[in-house]
Amino acid sequence: MAKLFSKSHEWVEMTDETTAVIGLTDYAQKELGGLVFVNLPEEGDDITAGETFADVESVKAVSDVISPVTGVVSEVNEELLDAPESINEAPYEAWFVKVSDITEKEELLTEEEYDAFVAAL
Amino acid sequence: MIKEILWLKTENTYPYKNLAMEEYLTMNVKDGQCIMYLWQNRHTVVIGKNQNCWKECKVTKLEEDGGYLVRRLSGGGAVYHDLGNLNFTFCVKEEDYNLDKQLSVILEAAKLLGIKAEKTGRNDITVQGRKFSGNAFLKIGKQCYHHGTIMLNVNGSDMAKYLNVDMKKLQSNGVDSVASRVASLIEFRPDISVAMMEASLIKSFSQVYGLTAKKISEEKLPAEEISKLQEKFQSWDWKYGKKIPFNHEICERFPWGDIQIQLKVNGGIIEDINFFSDAMEQDVITLIKGALSGREYNAPALIDAVVNAKLEAASENASLISNIKRDLVSCIAHNI
Repeated sequence: MAKLFSKSHEWVEMTDETTAVIGLTDYAQKELGGLVFVNLPEEGDDITAGETFADVESVKAVSDVISPVTGVVSEVNEELLDAPESINEAPYEAWFVKVSDITEKEELLTEEEYDAFVAAL
Repeated sequence: MIKEILWLKTENTYPYKNLAMEEYLTMNVKDGQCIMYLWQNRHTVVIGKNQNCWKECKVTKLEEDGGYLVRRLSGGGAVYHDLGNLNFTFCVKEEDYNLDKQLSVILEAAKLLGIKAEKTGRNDITVQGRKFSGNAFLKIGKQCYHHGTIMLNVNGSDMAKYLNVDMKKLQSNGVDSVASRVASLIEFRPDISVAMMEASLIKSFSQVYGLTAKKISEEKLPAEEISKLQEKFQSWDWKYGKKIPFNHEICERFPWGDIQIQLKVNGGIIEDINFFSDAMEQDVITLIKGALSGREYNAPALIDAVVNAKLEAASENASLISNIKRDLVSCIAHNI
């Protein structure tokens, strides 16, 4: 499945109708600068579209990461805890969480739409 | 576009209340407003959001001396605050956030006092290459703050006493502090005072934004809402219970044997413990290991566990037991 993008700079890859993988976009990691720490939710946590589900600390600031979907965290990428810099190195591989039982989604953009959105910022 | 600038200086020096006020002002600042909040903490070590407090600060020593450990919302390293330090926070919405402008308020305030300061690196303000102000940043939704310290006349020996943790064998994933060559501004202007810097900041705030800064009256802020935030900042969970797992290894030798203790701590609790010793009394060691397991990782709790451990079943040698207990108590007090 192609990746979709939120206006708050998360990417979502729907693995089927109700499950997805979520991460931060390349634009987001560039804006944040070098990441030094990631706080992730726990497996089994409910997350809500449009609300914070994680936060990251970069050399510039602490910032929230907003969930593009409503669902249940089915897996957490614990490798990020040891290597937050992998988000800077490969943002589209460094996924944060896998989500199941998805019931709602934020307004999501295609890659083309997201590129245009970012270009206008 | 900033249309209104507001300022507030609190007389309160209890750190948890100050951080609560800071969060309240940040979460409630409106479009077009910039709030400059000035505050001072007494006898406090402030650590970054994602730091391991035991790695950054001599927590036991600080608390024994009546000081406070505070975890802030923003990232970065550990700092020591006393009444020789003045803190500032600029609270704005994302669209109104302008780091250069905010920093120039600080630089101009120093200039008004005849101090030539400059911004260095990403987060520091220095005079003659020495840092007197460290800055950190936060964004929650559209609400932002930029805050920092201004060292006017900080007690350097207290700072060194609480912040230098080097003897510990502590391995952790948290964010490490970076040591800097620091200076208090009194070195460059001997008559400097908090009141002078305050007045200077209010003046430069108005100059930089080209607006007249209006004073917020603290009494009009909702005390109940702020006190709820204060409860969070002073809670055990927020200060110590952060889920940054770490390992602490302690090795010592005593007349009755060598010991090596490996503690695995998560959320402030000893999750797992290895306790090796070449002492003859292996049953005693096993019982102590059991007594420490699951306890809070702090010296008083662990000392309490050792003192109250029932070891008579493992050895009949009462004086040896009391020696082992005494040595372990001093070992814990020394290492944690």
